[in-house]
Amino acid sequence: MSLQTPRVLPAHLHAFHPSSSTTSKHTVRILGTVSALRGDTATLTCGGAGDVTIILKPDSHLQMGKLVEVIGKVTDLNEGGIGIRLLGSTDLGDPADCDYKIYEQVVNATHKLKSIFYDSNE
Amino acid sequence: MDSGYNNYNTSYGGSGGGGGGGGGFMPGEMNNSPSGGKGDYNNATLRPITIKQALDATQPYPEAGYQIDSAEAASVCFIGQVRNISSQSTNVTYKIDDGTGEIEVKQWIDSSSAASAGADSMETDEQAGKSAGSRSQPAVDGYAKVFGKLKSFGNKRFVGAHCVRAVTDINEVHVHLLEAAAVHLFFTKGPAVDGASGQGAGAGTGADASMGGVEDYNSGGRALPAMSPVARRVYNLLRTEPQSNEGLHAQLIAAKLSLPMPDVARAGDELLTAGVIFSTVDEQTWAILEY
Repeated sequence: MSLQTPRVLPAHLHAFHPSSSTTSKHTVRILGTVSALRGDTATLTCGGAGDVTIILKPDSHLQMGKLVEVIGKVTDLNEGGIGIRLLGSTDLGDPADCDYKIYEQVVNATHKLKSIFYDSNE
Repeated sequence: MDSGYNNYNTSYGGSGGGGGGGGGFMPGEMNNSPSGGKGDYNNATLRPITIKQALDATQPYPEAGYQIDSAEAASVCFIGQVRNISSQSTNVTYKIDDGTGEIEVKQWIDSSSAASAGADSMETDEQAGKSAGSRSQPAVDGYAKVFGKLKSFGNKRFVGAHCVRAVTDINEVHVHLLEAAAVHLFFTKGPAVDGASGQGAGAGTGADASMGGVEDYNSGGRALPAMSPVARRVYNLLRTEPQSNEGLHAQLIAAKLSLPMPDVARAGDELLTAGVIFSTVDEQTWAILEY
C-alpha cells in the first residue's frame, strides 16, 4: 500500500534512498527534536542516533526545540549526503516528554517484524 | 446443574434436531456447540494491532469473525494519526493512518444519549463525555486511539468504533506498537519460554515473557519448544488430565478444550513433530512423551 511510511532512524535513510534498488518506497517517518532552522532547511536531532537534514516546504513551520514527527521523502541534499524532503510534520511538544529509547526499540521491532508493520517490497 | 443442562438441551434440541436422542455423547456436544456460540459473545479480548494487521485480517468463512494470526480478533485497538474527520448525522467517520496503512473508522452517534440528558443509564457516559469532551476529542493530524470491531461493507473494510480518544503522549503510540508486536509474537510463536526469551525479537521480549509466565506456569520443568497456543493447551491438558497409559483421544481433547477437531488435529501434528507427545493405540490417541 502506498500509504505506508516506515518509521526510521537516521542510520536507515540510505535504505530508502531512490538509488537503492531494493525498495521503491522512499517515504519515511522520523522522530526528532528541531535543533537548527536555516531558512529552507532544518536539522532534526534524533536522540543519540544522529542528525538529519530536513528540506522544508514554504508553508511548513517547524519550531526550534520542539519534538516533531516528520513524514517525508528521502532525497539527495544539494550540499551532499542524504536528507528528507518534508511532506508533513506533527508537533509533539516538549522533547523531554518522550523517551527516545522506546522509539529506537519501535524502529527495530517494526523492521524485524515486517509482516505486521510494512509490506516487504512493492 | 442438571436442570441447567436440560434447559440447554431443549433449546438446542429444538434447533438442531438431535437433542432428544443420545445419552453418552451429550455432554461432549453440550460443551462444544454452546460454548462455540458463547465464545463469540464472551470473547471480550481486546487485541492491540497495527492498521496493516486490520487490513490483512482474514475471515475463515464469510460472515465469520475476523482472525489475525489465526486467532479470533473480536475487539481490537490501534493508535494512528487522524487524517480526516467527517461528521454525518448518524456517525462520525475518521480516517486513521499509523504508518502501516490507512483505515476508516466509524463511530455511530448514539441518538438516545445525545437527546436525553436525563436517561439514568447514560448519565455517566454523558458526564464523562461532556467534561472530558474537549480534552479527549481527536483532532485532525493528532494521534488517536481507537477501540472497536473489524467490519466490512461490500469490499471495504472499516472499524466500528466503541471509543475514539485523542492520544497526547507520543510514548503511548510507541508502546502500543511494541505491544502489537509482542501480541503478534505470542500468537505466532507462542509465549516466550524463559530460555528462549532472549531470542525473541528485541522489543517484544519483556511483555512476552510476562505473558508466557501466566500460561507456562504449569508446563513443568522441561522447556517446551515454541508452539502455537492451541498446541500448548493440548499439551497442558495431556499433562494434567487423569488418564490411563493409553493417553487421551483427540475427540476427548476437543471436547474438553471446546475446540474444533481440525484445530486439535493440527495441534497434535505440531506436538508429534516436536516430539513431545506420541500416539498410542491409534493415530488419534496421544500421550506425553516423558524421558
